[in-house]
Parts: sequence; structure tokens; C-alpha cells
Amino acid sequence: MREAKAVNLRNKTNVVGWSFIAIAVIMICAFYFYPMIRALLMSFQSGTGTNLSYVGIDNYTRLFSDSTFITTLTNTFLYLIVQVPIMIVLALFISVLLNDKDLKLKGFFRTAIFLPAVTSLVAYSVIFKYLFGADGLINAMLLKLHLISVPIQWITDPFWAKITIIIAITWRWTGYNMIFYLSALQNIDNSIYEAARIDGASSFKQFTKITVPLLKPIILFTSITSTIGTLQLFDEVMNITKGGPGNATMTLSQYIYNLSFKYTPDFGYAATVSYAIVILIVIFSILQFKLAGDRND
Amino acid sequence: MKKLLPLLVVCVMIFTACASNADNKNENAGAGNAGGETTKVTVWAWDPNFNIKAMNFAKDTYAPDHADVTIDIIENAQNDIVQKLNTGLSSGTTKGLPNIVLIEDYRAQSFLQAYPDAFYPLTDVFKTEDFADYKIGPTSFDGKQYGLPFDSGVTGLYVRTDYLEQAGYTVADMQDITWDKYIEIGKAVKEKTGKDWISLDPNDLGIIRVMAQSAGSWYLKEDGKTADIAGNAALKEAMETYKKMMDANIVKIHADWSQFVANYNNGDAASVPTGNWFTPSITAAADQAGKWAIVPLPKLTNNEKSVHASNLGGSSWYVLNVPGKEKAADFLGATFGSNVELYQKLVTEIGAIGTYKPAAEGEAYKAGNEFFGGQKIVTDFATWTAEIPKVNYGMHTYAVEDIMIVEMQNYLNGKAIDQVLEDAQKQADSQLK
Repeated sequence: MREAKAVNLRNKTNVVGWSFIAIAVIMICAFYFYPMIRALLMSFQSGTGTNLSYVGIDNYTRLFSDSTFITTLTNTFLYLIVQVPIMIVLALFISVLLNDKDLKLKGFFRTAIFLPAVTSLVAYSVIFKYLFGADGLINAMLLKLHLISVPIQWITDPFWAKITIIIAITWRWTGYNMIFYLSALQNIDNSIYEAARIDGASSFKQFTKITVPLLKPIILFTSITSTIGTLQLFDEVMNITKGGPGNATMTLSQYIYNLSFKYTPDFGYAATVSYAIVILIVIFSILQFKLAGDRND
Repeated sequence: MKKLLPLLVVCVMIFTACASNADNKNENAGAGNAGGETTKVTVWAWDPNFNIKAMNFAKDTYAPDHADVTIDIIENAQNDIVQKLNTGLSSGTTKGLPNIVLIEDYRAQSFLQAYPDAFYPLTDVFKTEDFADYKIGPTSFDGKQYGLPFDSGVTGLYVRTDYLEQAGYTVADMQDITWDKYIEIGKAVKEKTGKDWISLDPNDLGIIRVMAQSAGSWYLKEDGKTADIAGNAALKEAMETYKKMMDANIVKIHADWSQFVANYNNGDAASVPTGNWFTPSITAAADQAGKWAIVPLPKLTNNEKSVHASNLGGSSWYVLNVPGKEKAADFLGATFGSNVELYQKLVTEIGAIGTYKPAAEGEAYKAGNEFFGGQKIVTDFATWTAEIPKVNYGMHTYAVEDIMIVEMQNYLNGKAIDQVLEDAQKQADSQLK
């Protein structure tokens, strides 16, 4: 009798509990997992518009001989390898500076550095395009200061266009990452630093031996989100250089866009390229977890 | 994880079931609607100063006699229209799509072939022989006429007469010249005035397309599906001409439309071979009135087939196969398909030159333009329109163009032309399927 009641009660709690999360689960299934599976199926099809037919793994083998895909992949990796470390180090450096107790106008500096993160991607991209134009402000400034004698082709030269993109995304995202470090820094007990100072550790030693190890989970988090963000880079490149000159700055995401909307649509192959990004993101995330030696699940 | 998997599978199944149910419902609803009269005709187009304005004139001429139809014109950027059409048509739900849509000629085939049955044939709505020949190929498919040809992308060479005179040339020297002669004059102008001769965007090979079409050639073969790059004499010469311009140091580089227009409005560049739709951008600089002339497009120096006429851009109206299609088709037929008066208005009010042949007989087409020193520019453009060689833009113009842009950079950096064309051909062959 009593046992039956207990089972009944447990069932009830279970039902109530499950019904609370049911809505979220159904929503996630409908808007995440279902499209994911459909996209996976689609990545095995090819054809124009609605005339899709199954082609097996043809799309995946096509990736390896597709020079545009390889160029966009190289570009994306270049952004990743050059930009992410610069940004992470910069954000770490700025956050340590801003965390200084004796700093005046702290609020002002924090706001100023975080502000780029609230601007719209498209809006800032368009402004960067004009700043870095051949007759833009940056060139005018450099010319007036006699640092250069001819205007740098920031947008139309393959090398400089990449630099422009890297400068733009660094400007946009450094403040965003800095906020994570700042909040983590404020959680580090000041007594640890006090103890270090008593032991005679220099500021640099404190930074490398205390700050960095304690920030490790956050550094891992920001580097993973930045990696994912870079692999999905689209707005900036689309608006500043349109992927050009040629395809010197084109990213994977923009290639997907072109395959679906600029050229005669081949949604199947576009889905394949999307899955290539998924695979890359998974590999990189695992790699970063392993490198950081973090066993927390 | 073990528990999650079955849950996922169940969810997916439920949603597949839901999705197929929803499809059925939509079809029923669609059938129901088709029975009743739809009186609202929605139109999507881009460019408020050109296409939208033109559509509004058409609406004004149609509205008085057709109280039962309301025309709703919605402005969308061209990229947005392409994107919305692609997502809408490929998902199979036509809800939210317009009745009439403007599509660029270069892209038309990709829509017509990628989405069979998505468009409503206009074969009986207007006479195709009334329109410029070169417009019919891109707008028809499988023997049926789907697009109603709208604006002409006929090209001309806009040139600053004052800079020419400073360099010791006159407009007469510019008539019916070759591209080599064009570059030669350009060098003289640059030397005497210090102004660049032409403004080009390395990311847009419009000028290559113009040159190729002037010789009846394109990126793709007649079938519109196979790339025609290696062994394409016109394309090869066009690329060589492009490099000659670059090497002659007469080119100003721009990266977007506003810089392009600014280069001319500020007087930094002296000539522009482009489509007639560029006229409003030239006349926007009122202080340059009387300093411009429009001459026939130069032709390829060593290609016998090349003529002094070509096309750049241009678009046509399409009716989607959704409820209300008959009304939409009737509207187009009564306005852009047959109304000579409307075309006169388009010329005088917007400067839009159509491809409707009978319209050329109208008064407005014969008027001189004060900005261009009284030159009868519309008559000139209309004459050149008739001479444009017909080519099949096919399905992959933009895909091939992106390959060419990259290879063009390689060519400019010293790669041999034949190798460039061969590599481009190889890439295109593997990409176009």
C-alpha cells in the first residue's frame, strides 16, 4: 500500500519534472536537431534548386578537388592562426591593466573598450570599409605623417585586404573577450597576490604564475568561442571586401552563401561545406580541451 | 547519452510527421484560393529610382481601367530578392512570395531551370518579336517565354570631351574605334591631363563580359551549361585588353559602387564603357553638363565578329506560378508588353530605355539631351540595342565570373594567358554540374 503510493508519487514528480523541460526539449529538437539531420541528408545530395538527387559521398570527395573551397579554408585558417592569439593576448593584457586597483576612470576605459562589442557587425564593417578605402582616413593619416608615400590598397590588395579584416575583427571582439577575463580576475582572491608580493614575486611573475593559471578555464572558453566565431566569419568579409580581391579574403561561410545564393543554387553541396565546418569545429574544440588538459566535463 | 538518442529519434519522427501533415494542409489551402478571385498583385523589384519608379508608372496607367486589381509594389535589394526566391522556391512553400518579380538576365536561366514550374509562361501575353532579339534567349526556357523583357543594358562609351580636347582629340576620333585605339587615346589623356582614363573594380569583370558579348561570345557555350574559357578567342582578347589597360597605367581602382560613381563625378576619370543605366549617375554631377558625350562601344581589335554594341546587366519581369498569376500576366501584358506611351514616359521621367521595339518610334526617343550637348542619346542607344549579339547567359555566369576574377589576378601577376584560361576551364568544369 505504502509502496504503491510512493511509486505513484515518484511517477507524478517525474511527469511534472519532464513536462517542465518537455517544451524546451521539443523546441530544441524541432529547431536544432531536426534541421541538422535534414542538412546532413542534404549534404549527400546534389543538383540545382529543387532538382536534388542523392549522389553518395561525391560532394565530400568534391571538397578535396575544389580549389575555391581550399582557398577559403586556407583564408579561414590564416585568420584563425593570426587573429585569435593576438586577440586573446591583447584582451588578457588589457583586462589586467583595467583590473588595477589604483586606476582612475576605470568605468570609462572599460566602457570604451567594450563598446565595439555592442555595435552591429554590418555597421562597423561598412565604417571600416570607408576608413580603409584607398582615399580613406587611415591612408590620409599615414600620408600626412609621411609614414608612407603612396596610399596602401587596404581593400584591393590581396595581402593588405587580409590585414584589414584581421584589424577589423580584432577591434570588434577584443573588448568582448576582455569582459570575461575581467570578471574572472575579480574572482581571484587578492590575498594570493599579497602572499606572492611578500614572497618577492615581480608583477610579471605574478601574471604568469598566478593570473594565467587561474584564468585557464576562461582562456579555454574564450579561445574556443573565438575559434568557432572565426570559422563562421561572414559579415565582416562580406561587407568590407566582398571576399575579394579575387577570393583572397573569402571565408568558408561566404563560400556557402555564394553556393546557395550567388551562383545557381546547389544547396546539397552548400550543406556539405557547412558540415565540413562542423567537423572542423568539433576537432578544434577537442584539441583545445586536450591541450588545456582540462578533464572537467 | 543512451537515453538521449531514442528521445531524439522520436522527436525527429514526430516532426517529420508534422511536416508532412503541414504540407498537405498547405496544398489544400492553395487549391481553395485558386478558385476565388485574387485581386492583389504583389511586385518585388530593386532600385527605387529606376525599376520601382518604372513599375509605379505602369501601375498608374493600368489602375484606371482595372478597379478590381490592386498593384502592391515592394522594394527589396536585389540580393534579398534572389535570396528570398531561392529559399521560398526550394522549400516548396510559395506563401510570402510575390506575383511579379524582377530578375537580372544573367541569373534568369538559373531560376527557370532550377525551379521548373515555379514560373508562369507569358507566351500568349505579348509578342516576343516586338522585343530586342538578345533579350529573348535569357528570358525563355524550353520553348516557352517566361520573362517580359524590361530595361536594356545596351552599352556605350561615356567620355569627357573637355579632357579629350586637352589631349588633342575630338569626339569624332572616338567614333567606332577599337580597344587598342581606346587605350592609345587613354594614354594621351593621362599624359596631358593627369586624369585616369577608366575606373575599374578588380572584383567585377563587367568589362570582360561586355567585350566578350560584343563578339557574340560568353563564359559558357551555347548550351548554357558548359564553360567556354580555354580556346575562347574573344575572352582571351578581352583579358589581354584588360591587362594592356592595367599596364598602361590609365586605370583608377575602385572597390564599390559609390567610389565608382565618385571617380566620375569628381572628374578623376575620363571615360566609362558601361550600360546606359549609368546615365543618371553621370548627369548627377550638374557642373559637368555639356562636358560628356556618348560614343559607340569600342570593338575587339583582332576579332572579326566583334561589333560596336554590347550589353551589361538589364533585367526582366517574371510572373510566379501562384494564385493571381493570370491577373499579374494581364497587368504586365497591358503595360510593359504593349504600351508605347508608357515607354515614352519611362524615357523622359527616368531615363530608362526599354527593349520594346515599337517604342523607338515615339517622340521621347528622338529628343536630344542637353547634358550631352544635345546628343540624341536615346536614339543612339536604341540603335545599338538592335545590334547587340545574342548570347546564352546560361546558368552559371556568376560562378564562372568568380573563377575568372581569381585567374585574372594571376594573369596580371604574370601567369601566361593560355595557362590562365586552361586552369580556369579546369576549375569551371569541376564546379559546374
